[in-house]
Amino acid sequence: MTELWVKNACVIDPIRGINGDIMDIAIRDGRIVESVSDRAEVIDAERCLTLPGGIDSHTHVSGTKVNFGRYMSPEDMRAGRTKRKGKMHVTSGYYVPTTFGNSYRYSAMGYTTLLEGAMAPLEARHTHEEFTATPHQDMMANTLFDGNWAVMDAVREKDIRKTAAVVAWTLKAARGYGIKLTNPGGTEAWGWGEDLTGIHDTVPHFAVTPAEIITTMIRANELLKLPHSVHLHCNNLGKPGNYQTTLETFELVPDLNDARQTLYATHVQFHAYGGGTWKNICSKAEEITRLVNSKPQIVMDMGQIMFGRTMTMTADGPMEFNLHCLHNNKWSNHDVELETGSGIIPVTYSKKSTVNCIMWAIGLELALLTKNPWQCLLETDNPNGAPFVKYPEVIGLLMSKRYRDEECAALHAGTEQKTSLYALEREMDWHDIAVMTRAGQAKALGIVSQGKGHLGVGAEADIAIYPIRTDSVDPAREYRKVVEGFQKTRYTIKRGRVVSRDGEIIVDGANATFWVDAKVPEDIRMENDPEFIKRFEQFYTVRMSNYPVQDVYLPRGRCIETEAFT
Amino acid sequence: MIERDVVCPFCGCLCDDLELETEGGKIVKVQNGCSLAESTFMNDTRLPAPIRRTETGWEDISYNEAIKETAEILRDADRPLLYGWSSTHGEAQSIGVHIAELIGAVIDNTSTVCHGPSILAIQEVGHPGCTLGQVKNRADVIIYWGANPVEAHPRHMSRYTTYATGFFVPEARRERTVIVVDTRRTDTANIADEFVQIERGGDYAVFSALRAIVRGNASVIPRKVAGVSKEQLIRIAEICKKAKFGAIFFGLGLTMSRGKYKNIRNAIELTDELNRHTKFVISPLRGHGNVYGSNEVFTWMTGYPFAVDFARGIAFYNPGETTAVDILRRGECDAALIVASDPGANFPRAAAAHLAKIPTVVIDPHVNATTALSRIHIPCTAAGIDAAGTAYRMDGVPIRLKKVIDRGYPDDAEILKKIYDLLNGGMGP
Amino acid sequence: MRVILESKVRSKPNLPIEAEAIIPRNFLKGTDHVVFEGNKERTLSELFWIFVEGTAVSPENIEVILKGDTSRIKRVGEYMDTGSIVIEGDIGMHCGNFMSGGTIEIRGNADAWLGREMRGGTILCRGNAGHYCATGYRGEKKGMQGGKVEVSGNTGDFCAEYLAGGTVHIHGSTGDFPGAEMRGGELIIEGDATRPCGNMKNGSCVILGTVHDMLPTFEKIERRVLPEWKITADVYKGDVANRGKGNLCVRSTGLY
Repeated sequence: MTELWVKNACVIDPIRGINGDIMDIAIRDGRIVESVSDRAEVIDAERCLTLPGGIDSHTHVSGTKVNFGRYMSPEDMRAGRTKRKGKMHVTSGYYVPTTFGNSYRYSAMGYTTLLEGAMAPLEARHTHEEFTATPHQDMMANTLFDGNWAVMDAVREKDIRKTAAVVAWTLKAARGYGIKLTNPGGTEAWGWGEDLTGIHDTVPHFAVTPAEIITTMIRANELLKLPHSVHLHCNNLGKPGNYQTTLETFELVPDLNDARQTLYATHVQFHAYGGGTWKNICSKAEEITRLVNSKPQIVMDMGQIMFGRTMTMTADGPMEFNLHCLHNNKWSNHDVELETGSGIIPVTYSKKSTVNCIMWAIGLELALLTKNPWQCLLETDNPNGAPFVKYPEVIGLLMSKRYRDEECAALHAGTEQKTSLYALEREMDWHDIAVMTRAGQAKALGIVSQGKGHLGVGAEADIAIYPIRTDSVDPAREYRKVVEGFQKTRYTIKRGRVVSRDGEIIVDGANATFWVDAKVPEDIRMENDPEFIKRFEQFYTVRMSNYPVQDVYLPRGRCIETEAFT
Repeated sequence: MIERDVVCPFCGCLCDDLELETEGGKIVKVQNGCSLAESTFMNDTRLPAPIRRTETGWEDISYNEAIKETAEILRDADRPLLYGWSSTHGEAQSIGVHIAELIGAVIDNTSTVCHGPSILAIQEVGHPGCTLGQVKNRADVIIYWGANPVEAHPRHMSRYTTYATGFFVPEARRERTVIVVDTRRTDTANIADEFVQIERGGDYAVFSALRAIVRGNASVIPRKVAGVSKEQLIRIAEICKKAKFGAIFFGLGLTMSRGKYKNIRNAIELTDELNRHTKFVISPLRGHGNVYGSNEVFTWMTGYPFAVDFARGIAFYNPGETTAVDILRRGECDAALIVASDPGANFPRAAAAHLAKIPTVVIDPHVNATTALSRIHIPCTAAGIDAAGTAYRMDGVPIRLKKVIDRGYPDDAEILKKIYDLLNGGMGP
Repeated sequence: MRVILESKVRSKPNLPIEAEAIIPRNFLKGTDHVVFEGNKERTLSELFWIFVEGTAVSPENIEVILKGDTSRIKRVGEYMDTGSIVIEGDIGMHCGNFMSGGTIEIRGNADAWLGREMRGGTILCRGNAGHYCATGYRGEKKGMQGGKVEVSGNTGDFCAEYLAGGTVHIHGSTGDFPGAEMRGGELIIEGDATRPCGNMKNGSCVILGTVHDMLPTFEKIERRVLPEWKITADVYKGDVANRGKGNLCVRSTGLY
């Protein structure tokens, strides 16, 4: 039995309605309890800001695509190299760090749970191998279904039950967590070097549209009672004028779930562009947020970009190729048979580029214009918009108009009239930030019941104690202190153990991986469907028996079972 | 007993549809596999126990003794080299990297003598690729360049490309145009619809010419390029541009000939150019069964796919400087650990010769040419035969190798873990 | 001030030494510096006999002289910004990496990556230089960006790869692919070369000797006199495999 007693903590715990109370937290064997014995180890939080461990609900840190980003970037590996020290392994890289680099840096920032944003089922084993080497965060993997042949066939047949059965089988085989759609239908079209231009275009050879895929998958998701909603990267990412597609997509979304959203729309900044060319591109954040403010069934995340060099990587293969034709830098592409695609290119976001300035402004606008912070979560689509180590700066920008004004002064002159950011007065408070960096994510991912995102009795003792005294710091003026404070926790506690102290990792990690086993009725299980089996053996290049991820790849797997169709 | 859907660990194809018949802990029959697979499973002669060189020959030693002496050799070295890794599973590779960072070693894999140049090219321009199923289901134009899969990857064409029945190419071979480019007429060239014979060392010039033609600059191109007529080049460019889905596969004929990584770079840039007209992909034909896995494991752990030097504590990478062949040729390293590979057979003579001058330990299921250069040889399991573990196919698809039989050998990962523990004063990685 | 470093005899002479500490500026603060031999940390005095003559108040007046067997010493002059280094014999890899000012003179031969990613200053190598003379790092888009590298002898392959600025002047011949991926700057080769300027985007290259295996994707514009070199040369534009706007002047070509 191990016990820990955190005293004098200034706790913000939005899920339990606690906002800045000074209190003590008792921990036994990794969970929060009512009280501990006087043998417990004591940490004096000294009235510092204490939050549930940070949760990233959309980041790219593990798997085929991320590793290929590393593979092709020895120049980035030169940045951010650290030696082996104590419990810390060697790390390399800045925008595509090694797994240990990701894990240590997230941990130093108080993050204890991550959702990998895109995992192709065929390559799931790879993602899980890297999860094991990302020891300080609990992990879960969004599973890609955007170009899944069996799904598109079922959608075409308007068979929601079969769609759900394909999802259930695939999630279990891949040990995946939720449904990810990346440019639905578009990644299949990219198999022929083509793309779709809207949600009513037809996917070549499959006679389905993105709109049909999205709506059917939303219903299948709810039929399966998955903890998370459909997680959507809309069509037309990064194209001027794409906000129309985004609005049309959001209009499709019914409200089907009382406990959480029905659609999670990711990195919406990249989907909120007006205009029709790169010359007349402008922000449509007001239009997007107006709709989101009226639709509680939608939760989005920012997709904030920050200036500097980074790497874009997504399953959206055609988008990456278009971007490549603009940048003419190196380009990698990796289509995955019967499932999805992916592309990778390095980019530099520059204050000299009007387009980049507008993009930067849109992310902030989205957050500031969304009335309910539970509906707009903070992330950068790491590393697409910026490496996650920039989150503290994003927090600073959201909390301080002055900081924004100072940044805006350095931007390209054309930015002001093309966005509404300069006029926005809103300054978020500590509670808003706690929602946007952990509580909101826990709710959106459906892991509150797994003891994530709050500090109630029974919760997992994942806690971040930041060197910030909320009673003496004015974030509007002293935003630098805010940024610095969120860069390095005083303590990051993971499942009841202090794992990181003042930015230094002090123990070997032992994370868990969450995955979902949705039990569908025997008669529609794919493993019993001769047609599914036949097509699998014919068109995949691995045998069906070799496809599912073995349990050995999840040494600390945590299966969430659901009784679907009931 | 019949074991189905067995993965062959021999080459980068990792065919996973083999049927093995075992009898009393022995494999007696291999079905579905190529001749290379058959010999991998059937000709599996191993040392019974670790051996150590004496003044007059070899002596048997215990595993513990061998492990202890290996750890001492590595601990005493100023520039240890850990090389190989391509024929074992990711679990062993990962411990190898941990040993390297612990003792400040150079760790390198067999990419250094096969597709290292492809990696260098990818690091310059990226890699437009895909999984093999995309090619099988879609490709109507297939190009083999400097590669002879009939000999080196015997089932590549039947499982993944030319002869494979694909969803959009149900007639397989009849619907596909096959182009073979090589300096000599190989067995693969004999099945080609179009054979392009290039003068030795002329690949780069031919790629440049094709790129120029695809870009509309054909007027600049002379009548003949590296022995290939301009007419044929224009014809090839047209076939490629008109393809619905084209796929280029290349082998050591491109990576190890004059120009090396610049050849690959130019091939990738041709692929890039063709994507402005249609869909095109390119992929190296990786040799060793899990060489791609060693690139993957090294990359997520250190940031670099091969040739990683931990001498300064941090990971440093510079092929040409930190590659095993170069370190050996310059006589830099003063101890070597060779795992799951045979540099004694594959390295240039001067590089291999240095292995005999320094304490070299081999951990490998089989006696090989490197054994003759070594001080200690520790036999172990063979991944995919009597050990399970992860391997990455040449296209990046991770596949679990199976343990088909038990021969009583320790897993190389287990041996390496013990060495690590000794070097780390008893603590695990 | 003059700092003389004479290498000591080592029990394992093939072990590489990494000595980025050897730049003139560092000797303002004395001679107590750390270098690395293989995976071991050493003090400068463990590996060198150190002699200091005179004093200096600013680094530009410091001259560092390396004597003895210095062929395995890497990274001498890395990030050097002022002063001078004279190497009496051969020097190991990466001499003058990221150099921005000052001068390095190598009286013997230089190993690979001489002047890698150099920004300014001058390197003079009186012998031959290895592969990747005056180039960049794996994966980077720009190689040498400024300054001057002059080699009296020959160089290996990939000389001035990714050259983006500054001047590279080779009095002898180069190996394969000089000026590959060049995007700026000036490359002069007085001797022969094979396959120059593959995939060049910009910059200019003059080859006074004979080019072998000229690439097929350079467009011949004219033949004219180059007054500064007193020769008549073919002037090409390319590489047209790319959207290249580079200039390549060649006095004579061998066979394709």
